[in-house]
Amino acid sequence: MTSADAEQALKDRLAQLRARYLEHLPDELAALSALQGRLAGKEQDREVLDELQQRLHKLAGSGGSFGCAELSAAARVLEQRIGSWLGAKALALDAASRQWLADEIAGLSRTVPAQSMEPSEQPDAGVLPETRPAVDRVLKVWLVEDDAELAGQLGQQLQSFNYAVRVFDGIDALKRAVKGEQPDLLLIDVMLDEGRENATARLVDCPDLQALGCPLIFLSDKDDFPSRVRAVQLGAQGYFLKPLDVPRLVNRISQIFEERHAPAQRVLIVDDDADLAEHMRLVLTAAGMEARVLDAPREIMDTIAAFRPELVLMDLYMPEYAGTDLAGLIRQHEAYIHLPIVYLSAETDIERQIEAMGRGADDFLTKPISDVQLVAAARSRIARARQLEERISKDSLTGLLKHASIKEAASREVLRARRIGRPVTLAMLDIDHFKRVNDAYGHAVGDVVIMSIATLLRQRLRQSDIIGRYGGEEFVAVLPECDAENARRVLEDIRRNFAALNFNHRDDRFGCTISIGMVCSADYPEEDGPDLLVAADEALYRAKRGGRDQTEQAFPVPAH
Amino acid sequence: MSTLQRILYVEDEPDIQAVARLALETVGGFTVKVCSSGEEAVREAETFAPDMILLDVMMPGMDGPTTLEALRGIPALAEVPVAFMTAKVQPSEIAHYKSLGARDVIPKPFDPMTLSDQVRQVWDGAA
Repeated sequence: MTSADAEQALKDRLAQLRARYLEHLPDELAALSALQGRLAGKEQDREVLDELQQRLHKLAGSGGSFGCAELSAAARVLEQRIGSWLGAKALALDAASRQWLADEIAGLSRTVPAQSMEPSEQPDAGVLPETRPAVDRVLKVWLVEDDAELAGQLGQQLQSFNYAVRVFDGIDALKRAVKGEQPDLLLIDVMLDEGRENATARLVDCPDLQALGCPLIFLSDKDDFPSRVRAVQLGAQGYFLKPLDVPRLVNRISQIFEERHAPAQRVLIVDDDADLAEHMRLVLTAAGMEARVLDAPREIMDTIAAFRPELVLMDLYMPEYAGTDLAGLIRQHEAYIHLPIVYLSAETDIERQIEAMGRGADDFLTKPISDVQLVAAARSRIARARQLEERISKDSLTGLLKHASIKEAASREVLRARRIGRPVTLAMLDIDHFKRVNDAYGHAVGDVVIMSIATLLRQRLRQSDIIGRYGGEEFVAVLPECDAENARRVLEDIRRNFAALNFNHRDDRFGCTISIGMVCSADYPEEDGPDLLVAADEALYRAKRGGRDQTEQAFPVPAH
Repeated sequence: MSTLQRILYVEDEPDIQAVARLALETVGGFTVKVCSSGEEAVREAETFAPDMILLDVMMPGMDGPTTLEALRGIPALAEVPVAFMTAKVQPSEIAHYKSLGARDVIPKPFDPMTLSDQVRQVWDGAA
């Protein structure tokens, strides 16, 4: 057996075990509900609570090993709560507590991921699937639009980005349809029935539609305040004004789908109390984050460089170095000026907290902090930091990384590839004769072409690949753990698909092509990221000179 | 000091037994014997001659700490490092388990892909 076979066999076996675990799970959850139903609010409850606690303890200890981290975390909370009830001298659970427990136990099943249980996405070494796994199923976008012409146009364009579109002419038709099937995303025009029906107002009264839980985007030809507020209250993730900027809308839709697969949030814990640090690590891990404890203060910068945390939880008082010293040290490095640092300490003296915050940290959490609080604090801070980071590092037109960020990613991935002994492939893509498009049809149409290639790249490459807009019409893709042969296959696929796209301008239809230069780190064992980008650029130049609409690979010039 | 090869794993739940066996044998390359109770472990441990023992804390009958005490009474096993596995890992609890003679505590739920590394870390700390 090759190691790839062995790895596959292991994954298959893990998947089997997970399936078996999930098969038993409903029975276990039903048993918990039944036990809970026996609680009577009297001292005799002790026996039932004991058993509930033991069974929840087992769930807490097992779920995460079978891909149900959330179940583990939820069961743990319940286990602890029951433990505190049992710890009380007299046991008399009031009706509200019993109801709470009933609701929580009923809610456990919702923490189990639906459908087949894929393990947390691990990029497959060396093997590049034909398309990224995230789109092995065509995503369903449902459009509620009574303007047939607009619905037709929009539907067609969404379909060319591989979405399955269904059109409804009103909310009632939508309500009937969701009984049988459910969309992955809803696009709803605010003004329906020629202005007589306001969709945001209707939806407020439709609990069944709100319960769908799929992302929601509104379209509107009026920018009125009440509708916008209702859209927010309905949890809409977008509000687009007509005339529609379709590429931006498509871009937003693909971003929403991508966010679902966002990588785990990374937290670095710096605390000299090893047990407490480990406890926090476990709590954050159980909540689906990736947490690491710093072993030694001296290694802080190396650890940050390797782990790339999105948040540092820093104990204020440590025997060797104060938290403020370490925070200051982090801030000496320009690359980490924006890294959020939150102090964690038993300190309650407000003046000292303020003083500490003056030295490079963003906030202060006071110990003891409950598990729930810790998770919520970490999660919301990282979410905000990610949004900010996005604004800073991403190109506003395409949502891809900007020049400096993609260059940095290329360097980082080349270093990482050397360290783990696997190839990384870099590709440079350039739209052919782009100036002609701009000259003939204007910049707005040019932007549509640029957004289309960006969307195509995102759809066709893997989650773990990194894509950036390198210049006006030039793009860079970094494909970690991918050899030249696999990279060529997927890049050629992208090139052919792009050439097949049709763009419209008034009554004109036209197509565009791209040329691609690629380079694999395996062919250049000594070179770093910037060198490889130069090599890819030279290969791109050859592709252009060779007649465009083709892919060329860079090879080192043999020494004489 | 010998290398870590033979692991005795004591756990009452079949699901967890199976995934731990896979994690330790296939991922870690260890030789593993699984016992479903403390009683069984006490009976079988000496013959298996483990390099290290992993004990679930909460088991019906003999729980983890009781099993540890009984194992410590077998002269051939007195020096074998033991790690507890449990879902409750409050700092005070870790200290308590260590005071009972465990080398360390491995938190549950464990990740099957990294369990062997965790076990090796405990072993390296013990070696």
